[in-house]
Amino acid sequence: MDEKTRQDLLKLFEGKLNQAMRLYLETCSRCGVCTEACHVYASMPQAKYIAAYRAEIVRRIYKKYFKSQGRFWPSLGQSKDLTEMALEELYEAAYSCTGCRRCMVYCPFGIDTQMIMSIAKLLLVGAHAEPEILTMLADTSIAKGESLEIFREGFLAGIKRLEAEVVAKWQSQAGDTVIPVDKQGADLLYVALAGAHSIIPAAAVFNAARENWTLSFFEAVNFGAFVGDPTRTKLILERIVGEAKRLGVKEVCICECGTAFRVMKQLSGPQPFQVSSITQVHARYIREGRIKLDPSKNPEPLTYHDPCQIARNAGVIDEPRYILQHLASDYRELAPEPIYNWCCGGGGGLVALGEETLDFRMKSSRVKAEQVRKTGAKTLCTACENCHTQLSDLNQHYQLGLEVKFLSSMVAEALVP
Amino acid sequence: METIYYLVLVPMVYGAFVVFGLGSVLRLAALWRRPPQPSTLRIHARRAPGWLGALADSFLLPTVRRHNPLLWVFLMIFHVCLLLLILGHLELFKRFEVLQVIEHQVFLGRGLVGLALTLALLFFLFRRFVSPNRDLSVPEDYYLLILLLLTVLFGSQMDWARSWYGYGELTVEDYRAYLMSLVLLKPQLPSAVTGSGHSFMLVLHVFFANLFLIFFPFSKIMHAFLALPVNKLRRG
Repeated sequence: MDEKTRQDLLKLFEGKLNQAMRLYLETCSRCGVCTEACHVYASMPQAKYIAAYRAEIVRRIYKKYFKSQGRFWPSLGQSKDLTEMALEELYEAAYSCTGCRRCMVYCPFGIDTQMIMSIAKLLLVGAHAEPEILTMLADTSIAKGESLEIFREGFLAGIKRLEAEVVAKWQSQAGDTVIPVDKQGADLLYVALAGAHSIIPAAAVFNAARENWTLSFFEAVNFGAFVGDPTRTKLILERIVGEAKRLGVKEVCICECGTAFRVMKQLSGPQPFQVSSITQVHARYIREGRIKLDPSKNPEPLTYHDPCQIARNAGVIDEPRYILQHLASDYRELAPEPIYNWCCGGGGGLVALGEETLDFRMKSSRVKAEQVRKTGAKTLCTACENCHTQLSDLNQHYQLGLEVKFLSSMVAEALVP
Repeated sequence: METIYYLVLVPMVYGAFVVFGLGSVLRLAALWRRPPQPSTLRIHARRAPGWLGALADSFLLPTVRRHNPLLWVFLMIFHVCLLLLILGHLELFKRFEVLQVIEHQVFLGRGLVGLALTLALLFFLFRRFVSPNRDLSVPEDYYLLILLLLTVLFGSQMDWARSWYGYGELTVEDYRAYLMSLVLLKPQLPSAVTGSGHSFMLVLHVFFANLFLIFFPFSKIMHAFLALPVNKLRRG
């Protein structure tokens, strides 16, 4: 690595050193309490998968360039030069961490390994060593925001086709406009994923609840966050914020996508609208009596996987359980405390990387498969696209014999006319 | 030898406290000059109020108690004993009535506090020799533990001699004369401090304690100041 590249990367590193990051980098005592926290270590017990070990890979570079200790006594903390080899280590650390933050629950200081890994991911972006597909997907999202008119006609035609499906299945719940788009003065802007499964059941429930809603032109997923690029993350986020402001909505409802919800909720800053997950909105409809569900539709034992970014990291814990009280007659908890739920093993961009990460995802999530198997459930539902894909892969790989479903689809299916 | 005793017991002590004080303040100031995190870093489902929860997390170490009870026992012994020894050292400067609510000889615990601290440090050291803790450890972790162990061993040895074997050459009054002279910036070394059978132990104890203080601001021991704010981030 030439000196200029190194200096450029160190500038990126320094840009990440806010108060919180400094606290995280300065405080670890390497006590090892986090050892058992990571699902990757629990499934494949190798030191490199311990949260503190991953963080130390970043911390050693921090010591070298940002602490006097690294300059005067580098061997003391095993400070490390930023080299090509260091980038390889950073890659392995960052892309074997799903950013679930379960280790934060174990750490006596609450050190956020996901945040420390964001340095590793940014350095990889700076060195053009990140997974290219994630950057390409992020750039596609940004391009769509910049030239919406090109996509507009195709999008609207696609929505028309979906409307027919909604009417066919939930005719009695459909309003005048089955899937409203670009509706000025709507109360709620629904931001879905690219795919009928994310739009059709949601439309059925919104219409059943007589919601004044509109569908966003943009997909919720934020590939900028997966790849750890703050600039791209913000650009992708701002498309939705801009649309919500233009339409004057009171609420932005994010579909079942953990990262999209957390990014929108926590990074959009103070806005004239509130941000909710679709799970929160569905729970509210039930509480207010706007929709009714038929629990007899789900007589089999059922369990729910709390997506890390929605539950542990964004606080949506009670709402899915409230929905499930009305949806299932035999609900079984996965973990005695939701905060300790194992990560599905697909976060942090791993699922988006597809086949490339499949082997690692399956091996590193053995404990998740065992956790699910122990419940004896026949149905596993969740509220995150990434988790759904990963859990479906686990279901197949470990032959769990489950049906993996989206919670929102189950709500739509159980609607009482 | 007298010159070495003097250098360790007077100028090095002043130097160590200056490095410790200034170093810690400058390191903390450098940290707080940085911009704050714009978004929450909270972990949810912890319902205790933010600061109160962070205080409990910092001082009672509930996550360690839950996930590694043996380590928690030794960590609590270590930190409680450290606090008692700091109070004990304050009593070596002058008599504090408030500390004598339960009347005791200096130091509190008749040598048992130092013994417990030594055992805790040995536990911390030996657990680092075993994987996976060995894989996580860096030289700093060993150096700090060895430095603390040496400081505690030489300090406790003097306490054990007085408490258990009636050693009386180096009395509390001698320590008070020496330490208060340092505080008043008129350093004096009473003959008992430099000329008794245990002076060598005292000089080594002070020497290692000085090294520890100098090391403090540049090491992970800064967690003593940072544990509370970092835990507050988790509590939101």
